[in-house]
Amino acid sequence: MKTSEIPLTPVPLTSELAEAMLQRQIKKHHVAIMLLHWFNAFVWLFELLTGLALITSPLFRVVPEWYVSIVEGAFGSRANMLQFHIALGVAWIVVFLVYGVFGVRTYLSQEVLKKEVALDHDDFRWLVVRTLRILGRSDEPLPPQGIYNAGQKLFAFVIYAMIPVVMLTGVVMAFRLFSPAIVGWAVVLHFAAVGVVVSGLMVHVYMGAVFPEEKPAFFSMITGNVHELFAYSHHFKWWREMKLEEREWDEQHDAAAAPPPEGPPESVGPPR
Amino acid sequence: MARYAMVTDLRKCVACHACTAACNVAWGVPPGHARTHVHVTPLAGTFPNLSSSPYVAQCNHCEHPPCVEPCPSGATFQGEDGVVRVDKGVCIGCGYCVTACPYEARFISPADRKVDKCDFCTPRIARGELPACVTTCTANAKHFGDLEDPTSEVYRMVFAEGARRIESGTIAVGPNVYYLGKPEHLDLVAASFPPRPPRLLAAGKTWRSLVKPLVVAAVAATFLGQSVAFFSQLWNGEKDFED
Repeated sequence: MKTSEIPLTPVPLTSELAEAMLQRQIKKHHVAIMLLHWFNAFVWLFELLTGLALITSPLFRVVPEWYVSIVEGAFGSRANMLQFHIALGVAWIVVFLVYGVFGVRTYLSQEVLKKEVALDHDDFRWLVVRTLRILGRSDEPLPPQGIYNAGQKLFAFVIYAMIPVVMLTGVVMAFRLFSPAIVGWAVVLHFAAVGVVVSGLMVHVYMGAVFPEEKPAFFSMITGNVHELFAYSHHFKWWREMKLEEREWDEQHDAAAAPPPEGPPESVGPPR
Repeated sequence: MARYAMVTDLRKCVACHACTAACNVAWGVPPGHARTHVHVTPLAGTFPNLSSSPYVAQCNHCEHPPCVEPCPSGATFQGEDGVVRVDKGVCIGCGYCVTACPYEARFISPADRKVDKCDFCTPRIARGELPACVTTCTANAKHFGDLEDPTSEVYRMVFAEGARRIESGTIAVGPNVYYLGKPEHLDLVAASFPPRPPRLLAAGKTWRSLVKPLVVAAVAATFLGQSVAFFSQLWNGEKDFED
């Protein structure tokens, strides 16, 4: 699609154009984000496996007793299991702190908050249409989305709200800070916050790994790239923005290259 | 397997606190705390017929220990020998067991901020020694042994001499620490230091009655929603997104 004809809303594509867009890869995630994502997934998997087995009291336990025995047996003792849970949790916190220190300026900029975090009118509409479409109750096209769709944004809100709770209560329990009464409440909050995250995590995993329409998003967490057609059809606002930037870059470039009209300039590269 | 028990002869006890001192030294119990507590009941009766009795309180290693169930991490457990122990490697110091104990035998140690209590000197009995309080008792009032061994001292005291448990009508969890004494003295001890009902902390109550059902419901509801979506996906067939 030529940069001169960037539509305001998604328009039907010709098959040649769609084919061309299918071939063109667009970078969606940095390597740092992908590493963090899979590290995070690894941590959650093992923290959940051990965490469930750590709650052994029949009053609070949510897994059968044989599960507790299996995990305990795998670690040799319950104390080892707790040590592992704490060590991995601390490593997780440290990695996120390092990431936060280096990423805070990038990720807390006004622009990013507005485009990638805040929900707009299209997002609310998207949530309704998405649900109806999954249930087979609607054929309405999905409203255009930014780099993250409304579902991803909602999941992010759940995560942002709950992760600090999980981390803080975990540290309070691991090092038995403040008073026994606070530790007693930390156990409850830790469990509650993880419960909320797991509810969202199930949707996240389903959408990423099972749901057919989001397959390119799943692979983008491995390769970092999505093809342009996916960006166009699932993240139209993001696609449009990239195109506008591209056009701007082209125009500046054309203007600069205008005096010597012969041939294209040598330094041709993507705008981002 | 053994069934360990302790018998304290209150007729001999002189309330000298040597048991507490020996225990504190043996296990490095932090100042201000103790695993045994020597009490003396208030005076009862009218002058000149007054009576009073000493009483040594400690973990009773109950048959049905109310402290085990509320321990979230399973740090508190009952061994096959009946001794209720704390796995310090698993304790997180939440204090749920402290309020559950009817005999106030548990405390959170300021040394490691984990729960601490009498464990019948587990390392000593593993070596074949007697608990520190028993060997130290100046009046030879404390006796320790195996209730399943009919030749043991404690067996004789419990089954022949009528050593009894300090229980109340409502709180009877089967303590394995028995007391010998005149019946009126033992009644006085039971009346002065009755076991209290086990309490679950507000945090534990909230967890059990509110948070756990909510979390289970939320995860189950999400799972159901996913299942609906998944089967509708199978039903409608997968569409490649190029369409």
